[in-house]
Amino acid sequence: MKRFDFLSVITLFITVILMQYMAFAGDQCYRCHRANGDKPSALFKNDVHSAKGISCAGCHGGNSKTDDMEKAMDTNVGFIGVPKGDEISKTCAGCHSNQDKMRGFSSSLPTNQLDKLQTSVHGQSSVAGGEHIAQCITCHGAHGIVSVKNPVSPVYPLNVIKTCSQCHSNPNFMKTYNPSLPIDQLEKYMTSVHGMKNAKGDSKVAECASCHGSHDIRDAKDVKSKIYPVNLPGTCSKCHSDANYMKEYGIPTDQFDKFAKSVHGNALLKKHDVAAPACNDCHGNHGATPPGVESISNVCGTCHALNAELFSSSPHKKVFDENKLPECETCHSNHEIITASEQLLGTTSTAVCSRCHSENKNQKGFVVANTMRRLMDSLASSEKNASMLVNNAEQKGMEISEAKFKLRDVHQAWMQSRTMVHSFNTDKFGESASKGLLEASNISSEAQHAIDEYYFRRWGLGIATLIFSIVSITLYLIIKRIERKQENKEK
Amino acid sequence: MKTFLQKSYRWVDDRVQLDNLVHFMGKKYVPVHRHSIWYYFGGVSLFLFIIQVVTGIMLLLYYKSGEDAAFESIQYLMSKVEFGWLIRSVHSWAANLFILAAMIHMFSVFFEKAYRRPREITWVTGMLMFFLALGFGFSGYLLPWNELAFFATKVGTDIAGVVPVVGKPLLVFLRGGEEVTGATLSRFFGFHVAVFPGIFTVLLGIHLVLVQRQGISEPLGISHEHGKELKTMPFFPNFLLRDLLLWLLVLNIIAILAVFFPWELGKKADAFASAPAGIKPEWYFMFMFQTLKYIPAKVIFIDGEILGIMFFGVAGLLWLIVPFWDKASARGKQNRLLNYIGLFVVFYIILFTIIGWLA
Repeated sequence: MKRFDFLSVITLFITVILMQYMAFAGDQCYRCHRANGDKPSALFKNDVHSAKGISCAGCHGGNSKTDDMEKAMDTNVGFIGVPKGDEISKTCAGCHSNQDKMRGFSSSLPTNQLDKLQTSVHGQSSVAGGEHIAQCITCHGAHGIVSVKNPVSPVYPLNVIKTCSQCHSNPNFMKTYNPSLPIDQLEKYMTSVHGMKNAKGDSKVAECASCHGSHDIRDAKDVKSKIYPVNLPGTCSKCHSDANYMKEYGIPTDQFDKFAKSVHGNALLKKHDVAAPACNDCHGNHGATPPGVESISNVCGTCHALNAELFSSSPHKKVFDENKLPECETCHSNHEIITASEQLLGTTSTAVCSRCHSENKNQKGFVVANTMRRLMDSLASSEKNASMLVNNAEQKGMEISEAKFKLRDVHQAWMQSRTMVHSFNTDKFGESASKGLLEASNISSEAQHAIDEYYFRRWGLGIATLIFSIVSITLYLIIKRIERKQENKEK
Repeated sequence: MKTFLQKSYRWVDDRVQLDNLVHFMGKKYVPVHRHSIWYYFGGVSLFLFIIQVVTGIMLLLYYKSGEDAAFESIQYLMSKVEFGWLIRSVHSWAANLFILAAMIHMFSVFFEKAYRRPREITWVTGMLMFFLALGFGFSGYLLPWNELAFFATKVGTDIAGVVPVVGKPLLVFLRGGEEVTGATLSRFFGFHVAVFPGIFTVLLGIHLVLVQRQGISEPLGISHEHGKELKTMPFFPNFLLRDLLLWLLVLNIIAILAVFFPWELGKKADAFASAPAGIKPEWYFMFMFQTLKYIPAKVIFIDGEILGIMFFGVAGLLWLIVPFWDKASARGKQNRLLNYIGLFVVFYIILFTIIGWLA
C-alpha cells in the first residue's frame, strides 16, 4: 500500500513538472518575465489558467510566440498591457462569458457571472464613475487564480470572510460607498455559531456568500435579494432543512416547515408583510445564535413589548426562572407559533395553563385561568351579540352609527384583555374585560332600543293611518251632507 | 261651549271686523269643470309649505350650524331625540313633495293660461316663489354637512361660477370664499332659515291676497262650453273641506314615506376625501345637470357649459314673464303654440330626469 502511494506521488510530481514545461514551452512572455523574477509570473505559475495552457497574452494580448519584445508587445497584434477598470472584468468575460470557449477548456463554470456582477450592488459605479465597484480580480485575485474548491483560493469558504472583510471592515472604504452599512459584520460573525465553526475549519457552515450570494449580491431591500425578508427563511432553510447536510450537527431540520405554518410565517411568506419576523429577527443575522432561556422574552419583547413587560412583573416570572423554562416559548412554542386564541387560556385540555395547573396542583393558577377564560369568552360573546344587534338595527334603516363606532371600543377592550392575560393577575385583567363588557352591554341596549323603535314606528304609522282614514271618511261624509243640503236648498 | 266660542268670535270681530272677511269668503266661488282637479295643487303647495315652516322651526331647536357641529347635531337628532327622526324625515320628504306640487301647480296654471290679465302679478310672485323653493332645496341640502351634500354644493356652486362676468363673484359670494367650507355652511344656513323665508312670506302674502281678491281663474273656453253657464262651488266650506281632505291624504303619504324611507344621514363631509362615485343632484335639478352633460365642450367659440347655463337662464326669464309676451291668451284666444312649448318642456323635464336618474 505504502509503495503504491509513493509511486503515485512520484508519478503525479513528474506529470505536473511535465505539464508545466509543456504549458510554458511556447510561452515567451512567461519565460522572459519569469527570468526577470517578477511577481505576476511567479504567481501565474500556479494559476488555473496557466494549467489550461492560457498564456499571459490570453489576458494582456500581444504575441506570446516571439522573444522579440517589440513584436511581442506590439499593439497591432492586440497587446493591451495591464487592463484598467471595467476592462479587467471584460477581459475575464472574453472567455468566461463565452460558452464555446469555456467548453473548449472543458469548463463547466456558468457563463453569466459578469451579467450577475453587473446587476449586483458591486456592479454599481465606483466613485470615479467609469467602472464598477468590484472587478473579478477584487475577490478572485489576478495572477494566482485557483479553483474555488482550492483551500488557497480567496473565495474558498474558509477564506471568503477575510476576502469580503477586506472592504467591508474597512471604515474608510465603506464610508465611500455605503456609510450606513455597519463594518462589524466580521466581528459579529465570529461570535455566531457559524463563525465559530468556520474558525475551527468547518467549511460547510454558512459564510458571507452562503447567504448573500457570490456574483449577484443585492441590497437587503431588493426583493430579488436572497436576504430580502420574504426570501430569507428560504435562504436559511437551504442548509437548515437539508437533513443530510445537517446530519453531523444534531439539530432539527423542520424549523422552516414549522415557521411557514406559524403566525409569523403566514404574515411574512403568504401576506408578504415584511414587518413580520424572519429567522434573523430572532436569531440575529451576522451574529446568528439561538436565543437562550434567559434572553427569549427579550427577543420576543422587541416587538411584543407590553406582553413581555407584563410577564416580567407577573408571578410566573420567578417560577419560570426557577424551573429554567423559556418564557414566551413555553406557552407559544418557538418556530410554530400559532395564532393565539382563547383556546390557549383556561383549564381545558387544549389550554396551555392546564399543563401546569390543575385542581390538585397549583390550584391558585387553576382558578385564575378559569376566571380569565370565562371573562374572555363572555367578552367575545358580548361583542358578537352587540355587533349582531347593531347590524340588525342598521339593516332596518335606523340611525345607529354612534353605537357602531363604539363597537370599536369593545374590540379594543377585547384585544387589551388578551394582552392583560400576560399579567396573570385577575384584577388587572378584570379591569379591561369589565370595561369591554360594560360597553358591549350599553351598545346592545342601544341597538335593541333602535330595533324596538323600528317596530314602534310601524305600529305608530298604522294607528296614524287609521286615524287619518277615519277623519277623512268623516270629512267626506260631512262634505256630502253639506252638498246634499245645498242641493235641496237650490231645489 | 258654543256660547264661549260665539263670545270669543264676537270679541275678535269687534276689534278686527272679521265679519267682512267671512262674508267675502262666503261669496267666493270656485269654478267646477273637468280640469278642476288642478285647482287643488295650489292648496297642497301651501299645506306643504306650512309643514316646512313648522318642522323647520322644530329642527332649529336642535340644529347647530358649523362644520364641527352640524353633522353631529343631526346625528343626535336622528338617534336620541324623541321623534327627531320623524321631524327631519317629514321636513325632507315634504320639501321634495312641495317642489313637485309647486311644479304641477305652475304647469296647470300655465296650461290653463291662468296667468293672463289681470293675474300677471300672481304668476310672477308664484314663479319667484318657485325659484325660491329651488333655493330652499339647494341651501337646505348642505345643512346636514354630509358627504353627498358637500360635493353636491361644490358642483352646484361650480356651475354658478361658470356664468360669464358675474360667475366668479357669485361663486365667492355663495361659498363665502374660494372653497366650500364652514363659511359656506353658515351662509346657506342664513339663506335657508332667514333670507329665503322672509322673501317667501312676503311673496306668499301677495300671492294669496291676489288669489282672494281676483278669485279663481276660469280656463279659456270652458265657460262657453255647451253654451251653458259655468258650474261653481262655494269656496267655503265645500272647496276648503275638499282641500282639507286632500291635505290629510298628503300628510298620510308623508308619514308613510318618513317611516318606510327615513331620510339618510350618510357620512360626515370630508373636504380632503375624493368625491363619492355617481354623485347626482336632487331630482329637481337633474334635467339641467343632464343637459349640461350632453352639450359639447365647445359650441363654435362658446364654452358648452356656459351656453347651457345661459340657455336655462334665458328660458327661466322667458317663463317668468310669459304673461307679458303671450298676447294671444291675454286677448282670450287659445295659444296652441304655447301649449306645445309647455308640453315639450314637461316631456323634456320628465325624460331628462329619468335618464339622469338611470345614468
